[in-house]
Amino acid sequence: MATAPSRAITAFVVASRYMPVYLAIALLVIVAAFWVPALLGGVALSAIAPYGALLAITALGQMLVIITGGIDLSVPGTLTLAAAIMVGIGGQSDENIPVAILAAIGAAALIGLVNGILIGGLKLNALIVTLAVGQVVIGVVNRYGRSFPVQAQVPAGWSQWTSTRILGVSPVFWLGLVITILLMVGFRYTTVGRRFQVVGANPVASHVVGVRVNINQISAYMVAAILYATAGVALAGLLRSPGVAAGATYLLGPIAAVVIGGASLTGGLASPLSTFAAAFFLTGLNQMMRTIGLPTALQFVVFGLVIIGGMLVSGDRIIKGVERVLRERRRSDRSESKILA
Amino acid sequence: MNRKTVIGALAVFALVVAACTSGGTATTAAPGTTASPETTAAPATTSAETTAAPATTAASGENPLADFDEDPTAADPALVEKALGPVEPSDEASWNIVLASIARANQDLDQATIDKAMECWANQECDTGSGGDLVMGYADGGGNEVNVWRSVSHMEAILQALTYPEIGTIVSTAANFDQDPAVHVNQLRFLIQRGVDFIVGYPDVGALLAEAVREATAAGILYVPFSAGYVGLPDQEGAAIPGEDYLTVVGEDLCALGESFAEVLNTGVGSGNVALLGGTPGNALSLGWQRCTVSALSSDLSLVNPPANEDSTTGDTSWFPPIIPDVFRGLLTTNPDISGYAYEYADGIWYGLPVYEELGIPVTNLTLALRTDEQNLFCDWAERADPTYNIFYSAGGNFQSRTGVTAAMMALKGADIPPEVVVPHVMRQVTADDCNPDRPNEAVSGTSLVPDNVLSLMFGG
Repeated sequence: MATAPSRAITAFVVASRYMPVYLAIALLVIVAAFWVPALLGGVALSAIAPYGALLAITALGQMLVIITGGIDLSVPGTLTLAAAIMVGIGGQSDENIPVAILAAIGAAALIGLVNGILIGGLKLNALIVTLAVGQVVIGVVNRYGRSFPVQAQVPAGWSQWTSTRILGVSPVFWLGLVITILLMVGFRYTTVGRRFQVVGANPVASHVVGVRVNINQISAYMVAAILYATAGVALAGLLRSPGVAAGATYLLGPIAAVVIGGASLTGGLASPLSTFAAAFFLTGLNQMMRTIGLPTALQFVVFGLVIIGGMLVSGDRIIKGVERVLRERRRSDRSESKILA
Repeated sequence: MNRKTVIGALAVFALVVAACTSGGTATTAAPGTTASPETTAAPATTSAETTAAPATTAASGENPLADFDEDPTAADPALVEKALGPVEPSDEASWNIVLASIARANQDLDQATIDKAMECWANQECDTGSGGDLVMGYADGGGNEVNVWRSVSHMEAILQALTYPEIGTIVSTAANFDQDPAVHVNQLRFLIQRGVDFIVGYPDVGALLAEAVREATAAGILYVPFSAGYVGLPDQEGAAIPGEDYLTVVGEDLCALGESFAEVLNTGVGSGNVALLGGTPGNALSLGWQRCTVSALSSDLSLVNPPANEDSTTGDTSWFPPIIPDVFRGLLTTNPDISGYAYEYADGIWYGLPVYEELGIPVTNLTLALRTDEQNLFCDWAERADPTYNIFYSAGGNFQSRTGVTAAMMALKGADIPPEVVVPHVMRQVTADDCNPDRPNEAVSGTSLVPDNVLSLMFGG
């Protein structure tokens, strides 16, 4: 008899950490409905869908790293390198598209491997390592950018593909959705996925029971980098001429999406679906601010405040709050029982 | 807990960036709108021939700058026409400096000069081989790798410097549009410490660079921004004042340029919705012309994105491709019927046009008033071949960095330089001839004075 309510409470506690993002989306929709209803139209939503998906893909990569208790600040460099490779190796020839994509993914995997070895293997600080690796990559991109004409374009076939429509929406959106679903399924139904989360939640215990924690961390950085590259390749197609700074705006956004998506910053718990939703919330928020004509300076302020708000109602804080309430209720129940006895 | 601290720090950083970025905007009226003659033509809706015949000679018959080793009378009229179009001269002092700089724009360079120019363009520091004692600094808020316009302007300055045997070394820095103003400031300070004799550049962060500019002047280093790159408009809080805090600023009369843009929209659109686009938030160039465009727009036009106040810019694209589509999307979502834009950056429009396709809005009944003349937009326009879609432009202005070099060299030889070297402008309508698919790079301005063989080396890959 006691297990059912206990399970329900557990389910509620776990679910509660992901609630803020959906509440935030609901609030955004309400505000938009009153202020800028055009933003909720099908055409407007389909226009921002690929950009929301790009943020979601990078945020999902960041989420994998945060699950392991790490953080990755090499996102802009990796994403930019992938976009530059689409220009450099793409050589404005459709025939080169597959090679360019593979090269971009391969280069990103290598960056992730370096991050992973330095952090998971040598136990260096993730913040410093990824920041430094990101700087190295940006330097490489600047050098690499000299090997092809500045502002050169990606192959026309690639930019055309990213601007086509599948069921009325850019294929970039569907790509983001498929990646999200794959991660959801992987976390829930595969041993690898479950082990990945367990290791993130308690690396010491995992190590004790024989799980290779460092391999887990290295894998996380590699898969994350591949996701950044995927976003970079797609962004290159959307921009046509991405230049060598295309990823500059992807430093704070993915981290913000993971935080607002309710991930535990101490590792372990995160929801791909909530992260995906948070990415669209941030993209929608940005779009709404531009649509209502908010001055750029205020846009920065609002974006920063939203992240602080996300921190204040983060999953960890909610869980602690719920646990405190339950603990005090249990204590008062026990006191009442004693008095009655 | 540590993670939370990091995230919190990043969030605070975002706020600081916001504060710093908005710090560039400040107080009142128009920029130095000195004695600029009426250089703007009525925006003809038919052809490029708009104003009077081009004024391609010095204001007086004799060489007025002989004492400073310059000769405005030697300016090739064809190059003046290429760089500026059929303009009327600006004030005599400015016009002579402009012509003197164009007089040095040799289009028939020998291979050794081309090789040296390429070396200087690709490296932070180079020895010009002249044995000269002077060191030229070039401080760009953008950079060769991030923007074609910036890389061409850099090359113009280098080619100009190579015509002065007194200049023995060129040191270049590029902030690559970094959103952290400290990067721009530190690069200027690096040039000061390097001991350059003068600095030519574009101050993307405007007034936030003022302190470093004053430090340069205090160290005896001449600072000359070009492309109307005021270090904050003179009436902005914290701005450095040209002629006092730094030698001079080279560029168009911004208010006249803004009025020209308004005239194009007034005539070309007639009635309907129009929008303004700009660069980095609060930058002096955009602020300078936007103020005067707003006040000169016809009452039949409705500005869909008015600036928050006269010290704010609007339609901030940061001239940064990844941001530009977002700005267009924001405008077009609620105003799909925008009939005209004013913007200083033609290439930026090219980055924004795909949003029309995203939103299913046809590119038609559209009038653009632009400053620069990147080929990719003009070729895209030619391809669309829609008679209701018209573009008017002034000039790319890459050559203004040459004028900056010449102004600095004249000052070092004792010449009095006006606080604003006014470059005249005229609006021209884009025709099919303005699309040249054989240019070395699709994004190169047609008005650049860098010879094509040098451009081919720069952008040949």
